[in-house]
Amino acid sequence: MATVETRPARLRRDLPQWLRALVRPVPLGLAAACVFLVVGSLLSNDFAQQTVAGLAQGTIFGSLALALVLIYRATEVINFAQGEMAMATTYVAYQLISWGLSYWEAFFATLVVAFVFGVVVQVVFIRPVQHTSVIAVVIVTVGLFILIDGLVTWKWGADLKFMPAPFGKTVYHVGGVAFAQQDLGTLLVSVLSVLLLWALFRFTKLGLAMRAAALRPASARLVGVRVDRMLAIGWGFAAVLGAVAGLMAEPAQYVLQPSLMQPILLYAFAAAVLGGLESPAGAVVGGIALGVFLNLVGQYVGFVTSELRLPFAFAVLLVVLLVKPAGLFGRARVRRV
Amino acid sequence: MKPSAVGLATTVVAGAVLALLPFALSSYHQGLAAQVGVYFIAILGLNILTGYSGQISIGHGAFMAIGGYTTAIMSRDHRTNLILTMLMALAICFVLGLVVGLPALRLSGVYLALATFALAVSVPQLPLKFSTFLGGSNGVQSAETVTHRWLYGASWTAAAILFVLAWLLLRGRTGRAFRAIRDSEIAATSSGVRLPIYKTLAFGVSAAYAGVAGSLYVLGTNGFAQPNEFGVLLSLQILVGAAVAGLGSLWGVLAGAAFVGLLPTISKDVPLVGSAHGQDVVFGLIVVLVMLLLPQGFAGFLARLARLRAARPASDRP
Amino acid sequence: MRINGRIGALVAALAVTGVAAGAAAGAHRADPGITKTSIKIGGTFPLTGVASLYKTIPAAEKAYYDYVNAHGGVNGRKIDFEILDDAYDPSKTVPLVQQLVEKDKVFAVVGSLGTAPGLATWGYLNSKKVPQVLLATGDSYWGFCVKKACAGSPKPWTSGWQPDYPGEGKVYGRYIAANMPNAKIGVLYQNDAYGKNYYAGLRVGLGAKKENIVDAESYDVTNPSLTQQILALKSKGADVFVVFATPSPTITALVTAAKVGWSPTTFINNVSANRLFLLAAAANGANVDGVISTTYVASPTTQPDLPGMKLAKQIIDQYAPSLASSFAQGDTNIVYGLGVAWTFVHALQKAGRNPTRASLMKALHSLNTSKNPFVYPGIKLQTSENDNFPIEQEIMIRWSGGARGDWHPFGKLLSGVR
Repeated sequence: MATVETRPARLRRDLPQWLRALVRPVPLGLAAACVFLVVGSLLSNDFAQQTVAGLAQGTIFGSLALALVLIYRATEVINFAQGEMAMATTYVAYQLISWGLSYWEAFFATLVVAFVFGVVVQVVFIRPVQHTSVIAVVIVTVGLFILIDGLVTWKWGADLKFMPAPFGKTVYHVGGVAFAQQDLGTLLVSVLSVLLLWALFRFTKLGLAMRAAALRPASARLVGVRVDRMLAIGWGFAAVLGAVAGLMAEPAQYVLQPSLMQPILLYAFAAAVLGGLESPAGAVVGGIALGVFLNLVGQYVGFVTSELRLPFAFAVLLVVLLVKPAGLFGRARVRRV
Repeated sequence: MKPSAVGLATTVVAGAVLALLPFALSSYHQGLAAQVGVYFIAILGLNILTGYSGQISIGHGAFMAIGGYTTAIMSRDHRTNLILTMLMALAICFVLGLVVGLPALRLSGVYLALATFALAVSVPQLPLKFSTFLGGSNGVQSAETVTHRWLYGASWTAAAILFVLAWLLLRGRTGRAFRAIRDSEIAATSSGVRLPIYKTLAFGVSAAYAGVAGSLYVLGTNGFAQPNEFGVLLSLQILVGAAVAGLGSLWGVLAGAAFVGLLPTISKDVPLVGSAHGQDVVFGLIVVLVMLLLPQGFAGFLARLARLRAARPASDRP
Repeated sequence: MRINGRIGALVAALAVTGVAAGAAAGAHRADPGITKTSIKIGGTFPLTGVASLYKTIPAAEKAYYDYVNAHGGVNGRKIDFEILDDAYDPSKTVPLVQQLVEKDKVFAVVGSLGTAPGLATWGYLNSKKVPQVLLATGDSYWGFCVKKACAGSPKPWTSGWQPDYPGEGKVYGRYIAANMPNAKIGVLYQNDAYGKNYYAGLRVGLGAKKENIVDAESYDVTNPSLTQQILALKSKGADVFVVFATPSPTITALVTAAKVGWSPTTFINNVSANRLFLLAAAANGANVDGVISTTYVASPTTQPDLPGMKLAKQIIDQYAPSLASSFAQGDTNIVYGLGVAWTFVHALQKAGRNPTRASLMKALHSLNTSKNPFVYPGIKLQTSENDNFPIEQEIMIRWSGGARGDWHPFGKLLSGVR
């Protein structure tokens, strides 16, 4: 505890956010990891193949982790229903497609639905308990998890559903390494949506107001920011990101079922904590790192068989937390439980 | 208000009802009532940790798994007396709770919640890896099984003993230290409370309770321990139960346990939602509604009632 | 109050003699759940959760019982089938089965799905002498424990239906050893008893050729994709790909193999060889032509003219119209459900005009019929007290026709699958 409370953070706080990240040893470590991946990939096709697959998987973790982080920054709570919200919106896309929309029409329509969904959830379910206690909000999101799961199963059934492949089925070969169009598409869409969102937060007035509302609600209110509305919009954007994660996760598994996002949510938790719950960049980097790392461990560390993949991810996370309790990119901050 | 007198009266009445209940219930309903007792113990344990010392855990299903497997394995391999296996579960989980409590010292709030959540997710994976000893997906079958009446007696006797122990622990010096930590760690430290000792102690005690609950839980499934029984949902259910009970209150625990233990069974018989998915919808909806309407849980609700009657502020703690 | 192991064994031993004695005496006293006009049975199934795609099985069973009831029932008794959802979680199965036995007073627990749920309840049901029959799982326990002690005591009140998993694994092993002696085999299996039983069977079937297994990778239900495992198999140079998985990971595995540019000869297990799943895999880019599996039920799409499939269509259209479209596309789980229900009705008829639990078990321990219209033509349901698996025959099938294709049987009917 002592380290958390006494570490001076004022210096870094004065720097812009992305610069702030660069003056720490962590980015250096990540740069070293990147070099390692590139060198490994050049030396071994297997290594390269696993890395590519891990990147595609990792961006999905990252998207959902970023959604978690956005909500954490806004309401200081972990949304356990984030994965189920993403799953539900993926079913919306499925429904739209079965009504005759093309994949991409359904994709964008779903993002709109997801935004509204996120806002409604915040206004109806979260806002009333927001000021009672952290644990109350956590329980509400747990309740939402069960509720949404039940509603989706009620409406669409629990059997497997199938959606058209969004990116085509071509496989490119570079050297001995196969690049599936599917994986490249997933990467592209996830990265694009993260960048768009970052730009929104960074360069628009809305984004500024949202950041203010999340980080300094009292001061924001003084300068005329409508904090409650901003928080609701934050939940809306988080739901949009979740929807992207869901829509990209479905083609990675090729089947749609209510349990679609449950394992992904667990990895997204790990990714978000790894990067630091305060840090959007950390969430994305954490997700990608986790995706690549787990694939390489699976390939080269025999002991870590499939059932240990998740415990292993969490063990790594725990070690990171013990060394840096606020995560790789997180700022130390005093908080009362 | 005289909390001790009210408490005593409540205890006597509750004890009498619980002792007489098996004579009024069919075997099937005895089983359900025993299950409520199991949840009672687990929620009580979580409440000591979260409600009193202020540390969130979403991982108590993991300790229940360890307790349950302890019973099943000791019975399978050594035909150990089942009551004895419960005490072993208690001891093992107490130690493991202390061990988990150590890293928890460095974590707080949501980070601790997620770290314990990781525990809930990871522990049920271990039997799959170490399947020769832990039975893999085929589970571990105890050598002995018990009747519903036995289970009812055992779980509520254990619940009563553990309840009294919790009450003794929390009313004294330790309880004061826990509450001081919950309210402000800095203030607690400066008034001489040794954080590391009390925070890990809270974890250990809480885990020990969960271990006993897990042991009884497995006896309730015919002595069959299997990873799917200890999924993430179990941990979440206990947390939901604790919240419904009202954190920081011992008296609400019964309501929380009844809520978690009986609601799925009851909602199954509601005609409109009789389907399996309807059950989830009802459970989820009620969890959300309870939190929206009674954010302090059942205990808070009782306290508010008492306040209305007494027309003056009352403590929401025993 | 406790039943210790020795008394449990004694109870079980008495139960065995009880089965014999009850049948010999013609059993006068009526068991719970049975009246002059009705017979109440129930089962637990995963209607929700990870294994919920099997929910068409109980729905089809119910349709068949409704059909039988509409035609006068069994000796004038209507079958009332209660379906409960355990979400594949044994801790939920236990109270539900207790509910069936103690509250709903069923005559027998019929067709319950899943190995762990079965293992969690067979001690209880056998101690209560309640039949736990035609379990929908292919583990070896259900067939060989009538007299032999399993988990502490014999389980004379338990019976299976489908061929067991190791037996099916052996079929693939023998086929590969005989037809592809130089294959480099890569195996993907689920990391539980289900996958491991199949894998063990495969190794036995391969015999000396098991050295041709270049790599075996497991997956866990919490793995969000299978790319890592499949890349590992590919990197070891495997040219035969054996998948022992549940349906959804099987689809993922087939498509992922195509995605990473790998085109081995692929084997998938019967549980996942539903036509619907192969169509879905093909639609997502999997190369499904030449995939090999086995079956023991008839197919509504390749054998639509069989009397059994015509009957099946009629029953589904009339009593379970919501299943009609997946039936038309070849959902063999529906046929499976019909086949199980047929077997139960058949055993009930064999169990005498006034069946008891004991006479039902006796009937199930002495099945000998090739009349089940829903199994693959030629398959005979046969049991004894030593071998209580009704079905021990399978036919190999191979997929052709790509994204609009179907399974086609080849070779001759294989017997002794166990």
